[in-house]
Amino acid sequence: MVNTINYVIMVPMVYLAVAVFVIGVCARMLSIWRAPRHRAPLRLYPVSRAPGLRALWDTFAMPQVRKHDPRFWFWLILYHLAFLVLILGHLDLLPGINLMPADSPHMLGWGAAGVVVTIALFCFLIRRFRPPVRDISTLGDYLLLMLLLFLCLTGDIISWSNSWNQDDGGFVLGKEEFGAYLQSLLGFSFEDPLEILEHSHYVVLVIHVFLANLFLMVFPFTKLTHTFLAAPINRLRRG
Amino acid sequence: MDSKLTTELTDLFEGKLSREMRLYLDTCARCGICIDACHVYASMPEIRYSAVARAETIRKLFRRYFRFEGKLFPGLGEVTDFSDEVMEKVNETAFTCTGCRRCMTYCPFGIDTQMIQSIAKALLIGADREPKILSMLADMSIAKKETIEDSKENFELAMKNLEVEVIEKWRQSAPDQAIPVGNKDADILYVALAGKHSIVPAAAIMNAANEKWSLSYFEAVNFGAFVGNPEKTQIIAQRIIEEAVNLGVREVVICECGTAYRVMKYMTGDHPFEVISFVELIDRYLETDRIKIRKSDTPITYHDPCQLARNGGVIEQPRRILRRFTSRFTEMTPHSGDNWCCGGGGGLVAAGDKGFRMSSAKVKADQVKATNTEVLCTACENCHTQLSDLNEHYKVGTKVEFLSGLIADALE
Repeated sequence: MVNTINYVIMVPMVYLAVAVFVIGVCARMLSIWRAPRHRAPLRLYPVSRAPGLRALWDTFAMPQVRKHDPRFWFWLILYHLAFLVLILGHLDLLPGINLMPADSPHMLGWGAAGVVVTIALFCFLIRRFRPPVRDISTLGDYLLLMLLLFLCLTGDIISWSNSWNQDDGGFVLGKEEFGAYLQSLLGFSFEDPLEILEHSHYVVLVIHVFLANLFLMVFPFTKLTHTFLAAPINRLRRG
Repeated sequence: MDSKLTTELTDLFEGKLSREMRLYLDTCARCGICIDACHVYASMPEIRYSAVARAETIRKLFRRYFRFEGKLFPGLGEVTDFSDEVMEKVNETAFTCTGCRRCMTYCPFGIDTQMIQSIAKALLIGADREPKILSMLADMSIAKKETIEDSKENFELAMKNLEVEVIEKWRQSAPDQAIPVGNKDADILYVALAGKHSIVPAAAIMNAANEKWSLSYFEAVNFGAFVGNPEKTQIIAQRIIEEAVNLGVREVVICECGTAYRVMKYMTGDHPFEVISFVELIDRYLETDRIKIRKSDTPITYHDPCQLARNGGVIEQPRRILRRFTSRFTEMTPHSGDNWCCGGGGGLVAAGDKGFRMSSAKVKADQVKATNTEVLCTACENCHTQLSDLNEHYKVGTKVEFLSGLIADALE
């Protein structure tokens, strides 16, 4: 029974999650871009000489946050940079992509990126429990943060301990093993990943993948869509 | 609330869902950075007066009626149904917000709370719950267009009487007709407010510059914009547009009224004439030596009207004018695009409730006090009224003046 559940999470649910993510994000983007344009300009003054660049600066450097809450800005920047490293690190596991050497036992970021994201998420959670942010927070805000926090915690466990087996002489799971799992997903072979990843504390990996699946499935229906919308909305402000 | 009204309100809501509005409604991360931006929250620190809480009132309805997740997971606390209680909240959110857009300068995404509030105002009109005084004033403006031919004679007579004041005060620069009306040779159509303070100094300045101008039969203020009715806003603006086209003027100059300027310049489409504010015109006259003024040493500070500065781009011009006018010009902190709203915009001055206006703008009174200047100058009717009230209420001890009035009095 447990093996069946593990298999469902590790294989069919991944396909479902990716499908929901892609369709959901596309549907949301379409609902926005198919709506009629607003007639009047929405820019703020004074205007920038290069509004497009200024909008990108607003999006990626978040100067407004730095000005009004520098500590929050510090963690936001660290969080987003480290999250980007994590995305690249996971892409690096795909066959044919070698940001890290193919035989490396480490993911891109050497496990540090995950820890940074985890600490940042913990800070965000604490911030959300304190007024005045607490007063504007909803149950959904807390659940989303908890989902991300546990997703990253299980990732940290995989990075820092789950892949290590003293009896087997060090790292037993590296790019090669995770890559083989992803390769089987990409090839729609529907093999049981347990055979590839048997050295690991498999249940932690299953929980990590389960939370990642959930993350992908809720993404299009939450404020996480600011990933795609932050730049165009900032462009409106800059004219 | 019955289902028919709910359906009507949902349709009204849907009609406001432009691409930009959807971006604003979909993007907020509830980070709370905007909380401190609002003058109301800064003066009365209750979360309901923060930009995010105001927008959230509308977002909850958006998710409930237009989002898949709102229908699927209503228990996550992010949705709400139309009800009398919710409409009360919508009313509060719409008419405790002046639409100053200061929160937009704080938000990491640049979400426009004023735009979101336009949904709130549309819903209130749909539910017949908007402030009736604003609707009535908007209707009066529209009715004036229909009866303008009958009232022209009286208007021209009233202006004739005002000419005496223009000539008395600024005799040396007054031409034969100190306040021209319906002038076919005019290059400029000046659109004033209902009140001589908006007409007499402007007439003196334009006459001193030997300008070919004409006074509009219509008042600049647009109560359609205040109440949040785009159709009425357009009809009210259209009266002036038609008048300008008929006279064939090159420029329409809007008096010291921030909302009137922004509506005419940015929110009524393209025109066969330029739209500028009277502040810009004074600046142009001074820069090209068409008028000369006496320089004083009066300590002065300037309040940037939100719709003129942050939302209209008229920021440097009043400063250039005041630096020519006085050797002791002091900036407020913060100023220009970051300036605190006075608390009188968005129809709040016209809608009444002076108590709220005073309580919600304490931060503005403190800001003015800190400059320790003799004169507080501004270029907006609403701001002038609100700042005068604040001056009295908080015993700030300054003199509140219109920029045009100061310059007219200083004409050489």
